Amino acid sequence: MGALADLLGGFAEALTPVNLLFALLGVLLGTAVGVLPGIGPAMTVALLLPVTYTLEPTAAFIMFAGIYYGGMYGGSTTSILLNTPGESSSIMTALEGNKMAKAGRGAAALATAAIGSFVAGTIATLLLALVAPTVVDLVVGITPADYFALAVLAFVAVATVLGSSPLRGLASLGVGLYLGLVGTDVLTGQERFTLGIPQLSDGIDVVVVAVGLFAVGEALYVASRLRRGPVQVLAASGPWFTRRDLRRSVGPWLRGTALGFPLGALPAGGAEIPTFLSYAAERKLTKHPEEFGRGAIEGVAGPEAANNAAAAGVLVPLLTLGLPTSATAAIILVAFQGYGIQPGPTLLSTESTLVWTLIASLLIGNLMLLVLNLPLARVWVQLLRVPRPYLYAGILLFASLGCYAVNADPLDLLLLLVIGLLGFAMRRYGWPVAPAVIGLILGPVAETNLRRALAISSGDLGVLFDTWFSRVVLGLALLALVLPVVLRAVRGRRATPEELQAGEPLRHRETVGAPPGEEDER
Amino acid sequence: MSGGSPDPDVSTRDATGSHAAAGGRPPAPPRTGVSRGELAMVVLLGALGLYLLLDAANIAIPGSSNTIGPRFFPYLIGGVVLATALALGFRVLKGDRGPSDESEDVDPDAPTSWTAVGIIAVAFLGHAVLINVVGWPLAVTLMFALVAWALGARGVVRPLLAGGVLSVVVWIVFVKGLGIALPGGTLLELATGWF
Repeated sequence: MGALADLLGGFAEALTPVNLLFALLGVLLGTAVGVLPGIGPAMTVALLLPVTYTLEPTAAFIMFAGIYYGGMYGGSTTSILLNTPGESSSIMTALEGNKMAKAGRGAAALATAAIGSFVAGTIATLLLALVAPTVVDLVVGITPADYFALAVLAFVAVATVLGSSPLRGLASLGVGLYLGLVGTDVLTGQERFTLGIPQLSDGIDVVVVAVGLFAVGEALYVASRLRRGPVQVLAASGPWFTRRDLRRSVGPWLRGTALGFPLGALPAGGAEIPTFLSYAAERKLTKHPEEFGRGAIEGVAGPEAANNAAAAGVLVPLLTLGLPTSATAAIILVAFQGYGIQPGPTLLSTESTLVWTLIASLLIGNLMLLVLNLPLARVWVQLLRVPRPYLYAGILLFASLGCYAVNADPLDLLLLLVIGLLGFAMRRYGWPVAPAVIGLILGPVAETNLRRALAISSGDLGVLFDTWFSRVVLGLALLALVLPVVLRAVRGRRATPEELQAGEPLRHRETVGAPPGEEDER
Repeated sequence: MSGGSPDPDVSTRDATGSHAAAGGRPPAPPRTGVSRGELAMVVLLGALGLYLLLDAANIAIPGSSNTIGPRFFPYLIGGVVLATALALGFRVLKGDRGPSDESEDVDPDAPTSWTAVGIIAVAFLGHAVLINVVGWPLAVTLMFALVAWALGARGVVRPLLAGGVLSVVVWIVFVKGLGIALPGGTLLELATGWF
């Protein structure tokens, strides 16, 4: 019951007028950037990192919490009302949501997504509060070798499980690890890969890389094959959420949460797989199979809940182990480091107030989103109509601002452009971007722990396999490296969302032909 | 095969959401053969791996260190990168293509417009050079307008006006409100000096 008292303490801290204002600001910003195509929460938090120089940590993290959850909300509006396929975690929501909006039930689709996000977000955040202290107890005696093993697991999982091409994921990870090496070695003070440029001896700033890969890279990529002509926005019309809609949505919300939170909390986190699984489950369990493919409300409620629950799950390894498993989590980790706070097993004891305030403000932000967004839906829809030339020009303007604000050095802008071109090429040729960011941020942590472990054992590599913990974790990492390759060879490629909608089984990570209700075998 | 209807617009309204309504037209057949762009990416990745392995040897090791020093991790990463490049190169030569990224505003069937990419890159480079000369608001306004034109914005005045208003507002909020260092240019700094 210690967790409950701590959480109440967090509420006491978060419920001051100033902090509520920051939560509101974060929620509004997050929803706005979530609605706008081409901008995500990762990039928004990256652009706002400079405010951590002036803001006190509590206020900054309350704002980031709002942006984190707000971005998820906004994303569902975009995927339901824009008649074009979008990013991977919202693609399953779009499948049925688009159809509902076309059939004149857009308002109901938006409502089930919003309420489902609230339900899933609240349950998953409470689970986070409950689970975090237990996980910390489990890992409190963790050795540097164990920590290195965890980092390896996160690397491999993010690179091979998330994207559709494991090798391209590894390639992207390698680029990120290289970028993390540039600069002065922390332990010996030696310069590495700086090419003799003095500005590089401090390392490449994370803000520059994140903004370059996400903002500049995305703007260049969209510019290279922009959908011309007027933007088609579907109307959020039709009867609002009816009692019947509610009855049909409750089950999918809860099942989506049950799938999303544990899969998000695994070091192989991410929202893509739980939303796929949730959609497949709802398709099997529904009493209205004829509606799937024509706008079934279950197909919106389930994946949307899974998406939000996974977002909360990602915070478990971040807050208990200091292990980021998504791009946004990686950038939040940088914000922690910016304040001189090292997330890890000791975070919950050393920064207890901060962490519980963060968790409390996630719950507050979630409620704000529900209260604000049901009436404000029409305002957000207007954002979807922003003319695209101005939208992407504006993204570049803010990228320039966020990057220049770090060091006030035009050389950073040059570096930003180079990394932006890299981000463009990665998108163009199917290299996922998130592994590069994870590699950049987690790489130095992994190296430090590796060298610390080997210093203790005076160079004996056997120390890496000394504890059961590290053996199990490295075993899982090996599995994550090999399993996708084997599965691909045995079962063929993964089903596309369209095939899933047409009723084909989800081939990867699902027991084909399992009886309904046994989807969550992990 | 999907639909097979010669006129994609006919079925959007009355087909009660059959898949003809989803994409408009059937997706372009996947391109086959070895992609030169992908090959270039692999070659660059391999070069990065080699660079890491070779340049790691130049990292000075302080004499006192008795365990692994600053070279170990670079060697490790260089090895992994090179191995990945070789494996990926093998796949690409066999005709494997990566799925290009999806985004709401991307037309998956459109060919890559290298002109747009080039114009935007040059505009961004230009504003980086200009910032310390004419100030951030003016430099970024020019960049904004060039990017908007490259993406198909109409008119001469509107893109400039939109960029100008946005940049001045942002400059005032971030510099005067949040205290972030950003050169405003002589005129703007004079005009807001009383602030």
